[in-house]
Amino acid sequence: MVKLGKQARSVSIVGVGCTPFKNFEDHPQTKGMSEGDAFGYAALEAIQDAGLEPRDIQYFYHGAANPFMIGDSLTPNMQVADWFGVRGIGSVHHSEACCTGYVALQEAVQAVASGTYDVVLSGAVDLAASLPVVDAPGCFRRDFPLSEMLPSIPKVYDRAYGRPFDSAFGISFDNWINKYRWEYDLTAEQIDDALNGVSKSLRRDAVLNPLAFSTKTFEELAKENDLPDADAYLKGFGNPKVTQYLRVTGFEIKCDGAAALVVMPTDMAVARGLDHKVIDVLGTGAAAFEGATPDNEYNGTKVGTQQVYELTGVSPDELDLLFVNDFFLAGDIVAAEEVGYIPRGEAWQYAIDGRMGFDGDKPINTHGGRCNFGHAHGASGVADVVEAVKQMRGEAGATQMPKAPQTTFLRGFGGGQNIRCQILRTHD
Amino acid sequence: MLLEDMEPIVKKFYDGVAEGKLLGRKCTECGAIEFPPHLGCNACGYHQTEWVELSGHGTLESFVVPGIQNDKPYLKEVAPYGYGKVRLDEGTEYSFVIFCGKKKVVKGLQERLYKNHETIGVHFKPIKRLVPEKEGSDVMVEWWEPCFELDEVAQ
Repeated sequence: MVKLGKQARSVSIVGVGCTPFKNFEDHPQTKGMSEGDAFGYAALEAIQDAGLEPRDIQYFYHGAANPFMIGDSLTPNMQVADWFGVRGIGSVHHSEACCTGYVALQEAVQAVASGTYDVVLSGAVDLAASLPVVDAPGCFRRDFPLSEMLPSIPKVYDRAYGRPFDSAFGISFDNWINKYRWEYDLTAEQIDDALNGVSKSLRRDAVLNPLAFSTKTFEELAKENDLPDADAYLKGFGNPKVTQYLRVTGFEIKCDGAAALVVMPTDMAVARGLDHKVIDVLGTGAAAFEGATPDNEYNGTKVGTQQVYELTGVSPDELDLLFVNDFFLAGDIVAAEEVGYIPRGEAWQYAIDGRMGFDGDKPINTHGGRCNFGHAHGASGVADVVEAVKQMRGEAGATQMPKAPQTTFLRGFGGGQNIRCQILRTHD
Repeated sequence: MLLEDMEPIVKKFYDGVAEGKLLGRKCTECGAIEFPPHLGCNACGYHQTEWVELSGHGTLESFVVPGIQNDKPYLKEVAPYGYGKVRLDEGTEYSFVIFCGKKKVVKGLQERLYKNHETIGVHFKPIKRLVPEKEGSDVMVEWWEPCFELDEVAQ
């Protein structure tokens, strides 16, 4: 296993910003929003939150999962810089599909930890609910059928073997939860109940969050459909299983969104005397496995977790909050156990008992996660960091955890498949 | 790197599949099988591997049943199938499409594998693929996809 070295200097998150995660074309306030607009709003909010001006930013990272198809762009960092007043500074674009937002944090921290820069912005944007009208200005976007997007998904897999063997996509959704089911001698019905339990908790959190895509709880949807309760809705004809275990509600909601953060050396952040808590980035464990490599989500999570625990000395019982990229919902159950947040073999029951909501004893994805807050691909990882920071500062509004978390673990995943395991801690 | 020291590994692999052969690479230091074939060894991190023909036989280690989201009509036309991890007899593991012969076999396979801990043998079964050289083109590119099939189907 790779042993991580200590950072040359401690780095902290001092500013965060996030647009609503919606279908921008559906709202008069956002219809016609381009990538530059969206990245700019998120970046400027993060800069303001840090008590800075754009002129204070020395370098920035731009992330997007699929800029060629979704953004009609090959060099998006060049194309958004002017939008938030940083024309001419150095920048780079990166793209790790759904893991982009976690790489965004890691790279920004390394740029500051190395001593190269003091103030770095890192953001990501994906307008994933629509497609650009090619050869028209950025404000023109169009609806698209899922069938138009589907051919692009296998392109996260290796063109030599992973894609032609045609097993990577098919095995990815259920492989780990299936292994979990048999390991703990559970029935398919128990797994279904557990996943629906996660859905109920996370949907409730999302509905309370003004930035989230989802605006109705499953209880409300049941009532609208003349069904007795949320379980009847979740197990009903309108929410069928589309893989062996996952129902429609167990898959991401594609949406538009952008998010950004600002980091600086911890010493500088403390010396500046910010009007909110400083959040230290303790470290990032990293792994990457081609998508057809067996058990890649499990092995990547295991390796990344071991790395970051060894580096930081943090133990699982110190975690107060967990974020999991749950574009397929089962990740919330299996990853929670692999990082040691919930005892092995018990997360399925925790889910059924509703213990994963913002006011539960093991909160996960307090903004609702990919299936409820929404999934703007590359931007979603940064949105996780934004929500984590707000919780840790005590600024999470209606979904603020009863006791602000001190230590947060983020399990990033995606892009066939990159893994990042990161720990944030409130600075004393 | 000089021309005479290079060869297209991917092409040689798929040429082999078309001939019904499953090729891998063997690490010249640790002896591990690199499959699918690459230049370096991912078992020990050594820089050199050499060609080896594999038996094309292995055992099923995991199995997932497709739903609407991850079903592939072209595979269903061949035979009922699922996705699984195969441990080749030479020791290496990879994910493949697994043909099962009958639908009821697909349905009952997880119980046999995980609950009854049955050893389920599988063998190499390449299937022919034809794709247009570009969208709308009449020029077709033929290649063979390496899949596996339960041994019991052939018995």
